Amino acid sequence: MLLRRKRLGPYGYARGLGLSWNRSYPTLIGYALLAPLAVWIALILVYPVFNTVYLSLTNTRIIGAPSGFIGLTNYQTVIASPEFWRGLLLSLAWLVGNGIVQTIAAFATALLLRQSWRFARQARIWVLLPWVIPTVAVAVIWQWMLNSNYGIISHGLQASGVISSPLNVFGSPAGALLGLIVTNSWHWFALPAVVIFGAMQTIPSALYDAAKVDGAGPIAQFRYITLPMIARTLFVLELVGNLWTFNVLDIIFLITRGGPADASLTMPVELYYTAFKAWRIGEAAAMTIVVLGLLAAVSFLYVRRFAPRGTGA
Amino acid sequence: MSVSIVERLARWVALLVLAVVVLGPIYWIVVSSFKNPHEIISTEPSLWPSALYLGHYEKLFASTPYVTYLTNSTLIAAMTMVVTVAVSVSASFAMYRLRVRGASAIGTLVLLSYLIPGTLLLVPIYSSFASVGLIDTPAALVIVNVAFASPFCVWLLRGFFDSIPIELDDAAAVDGAGPLATLWRVNLPLLAPGIGTVGLYAFIFSWTEVVFASQLILSDQRKTLPIGLTAIMGQYNIDWGLLMAGASLTMVPGAILFAAVGRYFVRGLTAGAVQ
Repeated sequence: MLLRRKRLGPYGYARGLGLSWNRSYPTLIGYALLAPLAVWIALILVYPVFNTVYLSLTNTRIIGAPSGFIGLTNYQTVIASPEFWRGLLLSLAWLVGNGIVQTIAAFATALLLRQSWRFARQARIWVLLPWVIPTVAVAVIWQWMLNSNYGIISHGLQASGVISSPLNVFGSPAGALLGLIVTNSWHWFALPAVVIFGAMQTIPSALYDAAKVDGAGPIAQFRYITLPMIARTLFVLELVGNLWTFNVLDIIFLITRGGPADASLTMPVELYYTAFKAWRIGEAAAMTIVVLGLLAAVSFLYVRRFAPRGTGA
Repeated sequence: MSVSIVERLARWVALLVLAVVVLGPIYWIVVSSFKNPHEIISTEPSLWPSALYLGHYEKLFASTPYVTYLTNSTLIAAMTMVVTVAVSVSASFAMYRLRVRGASAIGTLVLLSYLIPGTLLLVPIYSSFASVGLIDTPAALVIVNVAFASPFCVWLLRGFFDSIPIELDDAAAVDGAGPLATLWRVNLPLLAPGIGTVGLYAFIFSWTEVVFASQLILSDQRKTLPIGLTAIMGQYNIDWGLLMAGASLTMVPGAILFAAVGRYFVRGLTAGAVQ
């Protein structure tokens, strides 16, 4: 509490230091500075949600065309449609796959970045390159590397005798989602890796010294010091990371377009096609609201269940 | 403490694996874009082009509207960068420094906006933009990109603001500086790394954005780079050399920016980690 108070500065709640300007002036300026962001988010992120609720109650097919109010029919259609449930299931597989690959990759990388030697310190920078390059380039890279005829991975595996016929990743229903998970994980894993690394850096080394004296090995140190100390960061990271991952459309859209044989039609792709290919906007809107409700509910439960104690957020 | 040979070896192997996984694919595509068409599809991949071949790049500039796409993308990304920096820096100054009442509510709103899936908002945003005539304009993409990039930027900026001693604001106030002067003359100069970080994020967000660009832009001469490349990718007979040359070039601006402010970006991320 004392700490907070100290950090308030001249314009904090504790203003009224009798300084040269009127008490309400900084507040006014504050709101004026905040306004653009608030208006922006309200207009582009919040208002559209309400607009979606409205659209979901109409039989809009093409935007701008006349449409009528049809009540909850769209919701009934969505709940009854096998495509919706397939999308949800594939999205779940997508989340789990990305979660496993990225968690392992991010932790392993973070532990490596922690090393104090020069090359590890340099790696802290270049490890983010896959995230820096545009998604479309990522799509080209992995389509090329995993190409069944010319790809270096298929070549390598055949030359070393692991497989006998060319590996067709994105062209096969079984391989498509897996290939996409690898591609997407490559694109994103460095971000959580650097964040986890940052959190680890804040752990006082005295804790590790004490543990070593008590005879704790590397695994015990990781389990009883590292993990608890970065629990709060992991909590936020999991939430934001999973929401971002769920919403990924671009890489799937660029590589498989939901195919082959609908094998990678996760929820966002399904939504995109319902709205902009089948032109069933009303139905897509209803789907949006159901998904949004689901995400909000799961996030709420997650926060209630897993929020580390003693955090103000 | 001396490190055992086994441990040193393990470190090297681990770092090598990381380098191959992270940089290998990028290296591979850039190198392949300089190979002649035969060498590209050769069954024995070569790690280095047998002869430097610039044909793919020549074709890219001569027979595709690549330069137009490049111009459009650059313009939109630059605008997104400038507006996002302005919006997020001023908002985070109000939230973290002026600490206006309700700042925490805005903070929650910012967090909630992570939850809202961009794709899901494509439909209503399209319809709103259609009614105000924004469809098929670069402004439409700038507006959308700023909205989606700003929340994360506000989060990133917190660490940078926290690293500037609040006592400096106190001193400025004692000297009679108002809040705007404090922001402009005291905080901004010290915030340069933060501004670089946020600018980088906004630029990359815009540069890579595909979904909204594919729906909100209709005419060919206004398309952005990713959409243009998608068109090359979508052809029945994919010209891999051309595609890899195009993809390699799209990586350049981000890589240059990252080389300039990447250090600060990493600092911003790691500072954000402990909030």
